[in-house]
Order: sequence, then C-alpha cells, then structure tokens
Amino acid sequence: MSIMFSKTILYFAFFFLTLVPYFSNAQVDYLIGHDIKKGEELYKANCTSCHKLGDEKKARLIGPGLNPEIFEEYTEEWLISWIKNSSALIESGDEQAIAIFEEYNQSVMTAFPTFSDDDVRDILAYIENPPVEEVSIVEVLDVEDVQKESINTQSLLLIALVLFSILGFLVFIKNSLKKASKIEETIFQGFKKWVLSNLVIVIIIAHLGVLCLIVLGWQSLSKIGISQNYQPAQPIEFSHKVHAGQQGIDCNYCHSSARKSKHSGIPSANVCMNCHANIVEGPKHGTKEIAKIYKAVGYDVDTRSYIEGYEEQPIKWVRIHNLPDLAYFNHSQHVVAGGLECQECHGAIEEMDEVYQKEKLTMGWCINCHRDSKIDLDNPYYHGYNDWIEKHKKADLTVENIGGLECGKCHY
Amino acid sequence: MIRVILIIFVCFVFSSCGDSASDGIKTSDKPGYEYMPDMYRSHAYETYTMNPNFSDSMTARKPVKGTIPRGFIPFEYENTLDDFKRAALELKNPYERSEKNIEQGKQLYGMFCAHCHGQNGDGKGSITHPVYSAIPAYYDDVMIRPRSQTTMKYLEDGHLYHAIYYGYNAMGPHYNLVSDEERWKIVLYVNELQNTEK
Repeated sequence: MSIMFSKTILYFAFFFLTLVPYFSNAQVDYLIGHDIKKGEELYKANCTSCHKLGDEKKARLIGPGLNPEIFEEYTEEWLISWIKNSSALIESGDEQAIAIFEEYNQSVMTAFPTFSDDDVRDILAYIENPPVEEVSIVEVLDVEDVQKESINTQSLLLIALVLFSILGFLVFIKNSLKKASKIEETIFQGFKKWVLSNLVIVIIIAHLGVLCLIVLGWQSLSKIGISQNYQPAQPIEFSHKVHAGQQGIDCNYCHSSARKSKHSGIPSANVCMNCHANIVEGPKHGTKEIAKIYKAVGYDVDTRSYIEGYEEQPIKWVRIHNLPDLAYFNHSQHVVAGGLECQECHGAIEEMDEVYQKEKLTMGWCINCHRDSKIDLDNPYYHGYNDWIEKHKKADLTVENIGGLECGKCHY
Repeated sequence: MIRVILIIFVCFVFSSCGDSASDGIKTSDKPGYEYMPDMYRSHAYETYTMNPNFSDSMTARKPVKGTIPRGFIPFEYENTLDDFKRAALELKNPYERSEKNIEQGKQLYGMFCAHCHGQNGDGKGSITHPVYSAIPAYYDDVMIRPRSQTTMKYLEDGHLYHAIYYGYNAMGPHYNLVSDEERWKIVLYVNELQNTEK
C-alpha cells in the first residue's frame, strides 16, 4: 500500500516537473501575482476606445486587437514603455515601435504616464486572460430564430393540410348533392320551398344582413386614408428601442433636420457610421444587420476603411407616416416654434423595436390639437411681435387663436 | 323558433361590442386604403421618393461638385494632426459668451454629445458599448492627450471645433449634423464643462 502511495506521489511529482519548463519558458506569466480584476477595470476605463480584445486584424478598432499573441511578439519591458509613452519610444528609434506606428496610419496612442509598472502588468494580465467571449449568446439567439422559422413552416403545412381536407369535403358534398338533385328536385327549387315555408325567419335574417353590411361598410369607409398601426417590414432590422431607449441617443442626433426643415430626415448612412464604424456587432442580430450598412456605404470591416470607388447603394426604408399630398406639414414649425416632443405625435418610439404609426393622422386629430394647445409667448419664435404679445399676454392663446384652423395654413 | 332568432340577435349585438384593438396593439404590415391615391402621393418627386432618372434611384442628390450652399462657411483645415494643431492656434470662437448662447449650446450638447460625453461632461454617457466606455471627462487635468499635448481641461477652442468637425479616435465626424454656428455654440458649452470643478 505504502509503495503504491509513494509511487503515485512520484508520478505526480514527475508530471509537475515536466510542466515546469513550460511555465518558465513562457515570457510572462501573468496568472500569478497580478490582479486581473484591477487590470480589467483599468482596461475598460482607458483602453476600450481604441482597442478590442481578439485577433489583431479582425478586432481592429483605432489600434490593433489585443490577444495573448502580443507576448510572443513583444517583451514585457517593451510593452510597458510603449503603453506608458509610445511617442517617446517611437522617437527613440525603436524598430518595432516605428513599424506599428506606420501600420496604424501614424495615429498616436495616448500616453499613460500615471500608470505604474504594476498597473500596466495588471492590464497585460487581463489581456492574457481575456473573458469568455459573449459570441455564444448571439449564436443561441440565432438558433432560436431558426426554430421560430421552422415552426412557421410547420404551421403553414398544417394550415395547407386543413385547407386540403376542407376542399376534399366540399367536393364530396358537391358530388352527393348532384346525385340527390337528379333524383328529386334542383337545389334552387328546394331552397324556394324552404323560404316560402319560413318567411318570418328569412325576413329577419335579411334585415340583420343588411344591417351588418351597413355597419361593415361604414367601418371600412371610415378607415380610408388612415394607416394607424401600420408597421411595415424595414430593410434593416433597426431597433429604436435599443438606440433611443436603452442607449439614450437623442432623436435629434439622427433626425437632425427635424429642427431645420419640413422633413424630419432619414439619417444618411454616414450618421450610422459615426458609431458603427466601430460597433460591428449588435446584441440581437450579431453582425448580420449592421453589415447591411457596410454594404450600402462600402466599408471594409476587416481593414476598418472605406472601399475606394465603391458605388454606394441607398437603403430603401419604407415610409410609415405619410400625410396626403394635399396637406402641408412642417416638422421644424412643430418642433422649434411649437416645442412639441416627438413622442406627442409618434408615440413612445423609444419603446418600439419596430416602429408603427401610433396616431391616426386625420384632419380631426390635427384640429383637436390645434384647439387645445396653448402657445408659449416666451418662445423666441414670437419675438419681434412685441406689441402684439403685450396686447395678448394675459389671454390664454391657443394655436387656433393665431390662425391654426385656417384652411390655407395647411391646404394650399 | 323565436328563441333561435333571439339567440342570433343577442350574438350579433354582443359581437359588435368587442374591440379587437383593446387587447394590445394590433399592427398591420399594410397601410390603410386610399380612395384616390394621387391625392395621397405626390406626382412630383419628393425628397425621399424613388426616382427612375438616376441610376441609384435616389431623388435626394448630393450638391453638384464645385458648388456651395448659401451661407456656407468653408473650413480651411484638413483632417491631419498638423491642421489640428494649426486650428488650435488660429481659430477663435466668433460667438459671444452670453447666457443665451451657452444655453443654446447646452441644448445642442444634449442632442449631439451627451449620450457619449455625459450631460455633465464626465465622459459617462448613456451608451454602454465598450468602445464608448473610456471617454475622458472634459474637466480632466491629469492625462496629457497625444495630439494636443494638453489635458482635456486645457483643450483650445480650435481643438474642440476640429474634433467636432472631423471626429477624434472612435468619435465620428459631425460636420454634417451641426452647422458652423451650432458647432461654436457647443464649444461654448464645452468650455463651461471644462471649468466645472470635480
């Protein structure tokens, strides 16, 4: 027994001894003696604007993607002096430093003189032991999507099956009726007979039928020209909930012409690229939807640069809110002079993944608001009409009082 | 027989009470009916309508080469490090540091900058993506920035204007979102943020 025990000890000792050279051969082993947590904090607070964890080329932002391979290429000493002050290293004529400076379009890396050597080592430890990638979540979501699709096709098949069986049943009835009619009388004759014998019921049903038609007709007539709850599929699955809601981007950032013109403006793709030149992956659809912007503008994700001479393609967004051509509407007038929030007409856009038309946009809807809305005479828009303002200062003026109901205001 | 009629009638009455839209919003991927489509849709090309006359099908065109819009003020600095430094030396904010201008600058800052730079200029905006999580505060007086060779607190107006115009690091160019006047007013407000004590 004791021999067995000592043998196992020997075996383990041998095993660990064989591993020792690997530990000592590695240039830097940051697993031991460095605070990865602190490194992570420092990394996230100082590095993520320009660096991403991952392959040098694929995860390129402003600077190269960072991964444990950097320890094979550079010494610890070099990395520390580079991070603390890269321009000094370049000026000293270090070959590796100059090479990387040239490779990344001569962009200067921020110097971090406040870091101690140990701080830098902590960051390096974090880079050497990157957290498990979050890609797996995206993959799971994709699988769910596929499942949903397959469910859809299944339900379609089921519906088709039901329809076919109904069709078969109807054909069977038709044939049997044909047989029956040959023997006795035609269907029409039978029906006539039945009508004459149950005249009261028939008259009542006929009245109800006419009533139904009137109600349905009225309902469908009152829907003409109204696209309330219209939610078309868009070419890119852009989510206002993510951008305006969760990330808190102001509406005016993308729709910057709402303050200045009639239209609220569909942002051109370069506005998307202000962030998406760097953010290549979304939380829901991964790279799939964002890649559509790159296709439109000709952006190469691998090199992080625009393809020269690329023929740009428009993104064909589907218009949702559409006033008839006979009515004039101006965004800037309502946003700047009226001081309305976007949500007052468009609903809680920041909670919609996919936008739909919240309001009816009928003339009655416009008029009601013009009757109820008070105007703010302190608004600089009304400056210059001082005499007039003095005269009316005390009255509660609504849009109606300043001509907001005149036909020619909107129809001309 | 009368019972049957009554039942049918009651069913009819109740069916008209239900409102299909009352249980959550029912959206449709089709717009409403149009009685006379040519009164809804303009015959003339509108800004965003498709246009068969151009190969890229867009009615909205870029300005013709060599033309400038009315009131255009050229910015005679390139997107280079040298011009970034030159802008700092030469450019002066043409707008007066008045309460009104600063207030306007604050509003514009809220629209165009705050989601990354934070409403107080602390660099902690509402955007949570890691790329935009390491933004320096305007009042930072410790870290020397590589391009300007100053700290954020002592960035010149020209630095700020150039950065708004062409972008800086992960920040994209914003010259097409804000006009010349608006850029300078944002600079006025950023000056305020640079001087806030923290």
